[in-house]
Amino acid sequence: MSAPPLISVHDLCKHFRAFKRREGLWGGIQNLFVREYQTVRAVDDITFEIEPGEMVGYIGPNGAGKSTTIKMLTGILVPSTGKIISNGFVPWRQRTDYVKTIGVVFGQRTQLWWDIAVVESFKLLRRIYGVSQRDFDERMELFHQVLGISDYLNTPVRKLSLGERMRCDLAAALLHNPPILFLDEPTIGLDVVAKDHIRKFLRAINERYRTTVLLTTHDLDDIEELCRRIMIIDHGKLLYDGPLPELKQKLLRTKQIKFALRDSEAAGALQRALSSEGLNAEAVDEVTYRVRFDRTRVSTSELIRKILAAGDIRDLLIEDEPIEEIIKRIYAGESVMEVSTRA
Amino acid sequence: MSKSNILTVYRKELTDSLRDRRTLISMVVVPLLIFPVMSIGIGTFVGKMVLKAQAEVPTIMIINGENSPRIVADLKSDKEIQVVPTEPDYKQQIIDKKIRAAVDVPSDFDASLDHENNVGVSIYDYDGDLKSGIAAEKIEKHFDALQIATVKKRLVSRNLPPALVEPFSVKRQNVAPPEKVTGAAIGGFLPYFIIILCLVGAQYPAIDLTAGEKERGTIETILTSPVPRTEIVLGKFLMVLTAALCTGVLAIISMSTSFHIAKVVLSSSPEVGKALNFTIGLKAVAAVFIMVVPIAVLFSAGLLAIALMAKSYKEAQSYIAPLTILVVLPAVAGLLPGVEFNARMALVPILSTSLVCKEIVAGTYHWNYIAIIFGSTCVYAAAALFVAVSLFKREDVLFRT
Repeated sequence: MSAPPLISVHDLCKHFRAFKRREGLWGGIQNLFVREYQTVRAVDDITFEIEPGEMVGYIGPNGAGKSTTIKMLTGILVPSTGKIISNGFVPWRQRTDYVKTIGVVFGQRTQLWWDIAVVESFKLLRRIYGVSQRDFDERMELFHQVLGISDYLNTPVRKLSLGERMRCDLAAALLHNPPILFLDEPTIGLDVVAKDHIRKFLRAINERYRTTVLLTTHDLDDIEELCRRIMIIDHGKLLYDGPLPELKQKLLRTKQIKFALRDSEAAGALQRALSSEGLNAEAVDEVTYRVRFDRTRVSTSELIRKILAAGDIRDLLIEDEPIEEIIKRIYAGESVMEVSTRA
Repeated sequence: MSKSNILTVYRKELTDSLRDRRTLISMVVVPLLIFPVMSIGIGTFVGKMVLKAQAEVPTIMIINGENSPRIVADLKSDKEIQVVPTEPDYKQQIIDKKIRAAVDVPSDFDASLDHENNVGVSIYDYDGDLKSGIAAEKIEKHFDALQIATVKKRLVSRNLPPALVEPFSVKRQNVAPPEKVTGAAIGGFLPYFIIILCLVGAQYPAIDLTAGEKERGTIETILTSPVPRTEIVLGKFLMVLTAALCTGVLAIISMSTSFHIAKVVLSSSPEVGKALNFTIGLKAVAAVFIMVVPIAVLFSAGLLAIALMAKSYKEAQSYIAPLTILVVLPAVAGLLPGVEFNARMALVPILSTSLVCKEIVAGTYHWNYIAIIFGSTCVYAAAALFVAVSLFKREDVLFRT
């Protein structure tokens, strides 16, 4: 039998009691006197295990329960029922000892001191986590090499760009060299270059220190570049847990190209050109069209060439299918998958 | 519990708060400005009003008195009043405040006096009007003096001693120390201001460190640090307390210096100098400070607990605004005349401190009350701190949906 998993989650549930609001003026008055509550199952009976050194993508639409799961895994929230053992700790019970062995980054919020030079925050964290000066210097050197943060160590956080701040936040989370890293939307709002930087860094620390990473994201590119395993959550339930290639084969085949014509006259010619490929251009508005295609069958570059040849194109955008669409298709049973294939 | 953790959190919050302009204004600028403005501004204003009221010589009219030139001349020579020519509508003129009062002297007043006949004098004034009342009093005083002089003259002419009608004399003497006299008047609202300022100073940091943190979303990042929640909230509490005490101390310093300055600046006019003739001694300053410490703890912990419940800065402000009234009310009650101590009142927080500080500034130390008030306020403060710490451990408070 192999070594026990680093993180094991069993039948995890988190229920909130939420106040149910009635609509309208009369409802508003009723709300004042008679309150109705409903139970929201933010996380509903989730089970999974993560091995040391794994990088796992955790995706789902807004409000699916990703952040709640992360908050339970980091010991901020106490589960309603279920069990979590992470790195040998029960997070909420042994929180202070446990969090010394994890790093956490919440993409939209910083743990750095807003008005003060970045390096001051690092010094504070060094004290809190009890990192020795030698280890601290060594880590700073690494962060400098891989993240290139030394240029703005003396800049107040509020003056940093989002990408720079995210690099500093990552460095802050890894200052105490934790074996586990939780990332909640680490690339949200970043430009392509900044995203690339962050991904490279994550790959580097995963290779160098075998740091286990669980990251939630909206961005399927994050997952594709970083993770071999993916978990999909919706309405608190785990819809899929398995290797990414398999999912890609079955569900992530669809891409879409959105393009805008300079005038609507060329639309007819375009329609004809596409239908010869067995594709259909849906009109978004008068000049904007959308084509969905299976990228395992149609080459993206070939398709773009066809579109450009057919008409005067003002703008063009290639997108993944939104995660919500993929989930819809899982529900529709378009691609029957075994949920929690690893469990 | 780790002291170093608490201090680390405290240091972080302190460094952060010192960069927050709102906190700095409420913590430093307000207490430093309010007392000089109050003491010099109000002092000058009140002084001028007093001088003006006292300097005014009321105008009066003499009705009749045609055949009594002696009393008319006598009244005209009184420097306390100014006699103006008589007009028939004197009553209306009193109502219109054109003259302050009128006196009806019978025509035969002089003759009646000579013949030792009783004679009636009427004074007309406007009841309830302060200046008219003062004028009437001055006329009355004039006739009282004349009455005594007349009696003495008659006794002398009959070879009788003046003590026959004046068997004794009564004189009132003030025993209250000079600081007590004004202490009762001015001293009442000084501690009240210090208490209010403590609350003001604690408000912004309390909101910023709780609801502000929730709003910025940084509460999660703090909670993932390996510092126990109790220590986080205690570090935050220390920061809020520092702000409250800093405001309180600056208020006390500013208050005592500005009153000294006001005394020097305004003592050029003796009347105003007299009104401000009291000093707040070092002992009183120290005592007021010691009494304010548990109040500051109570405010800091209470504000922290309330602001913790809020989801955003705005929400916290709307919770705390009515609380300010709750604090102002008992503090104002301490200002009311006739509110005296008893043991039960010593247990009412804020009111008791306000009252006892008023006494301290006025130079009286009720040691047993001071002990009860200090003790009871400490208990309230500890309870508030306990509530704040327990709330910080509750998931449904930290992550209200």
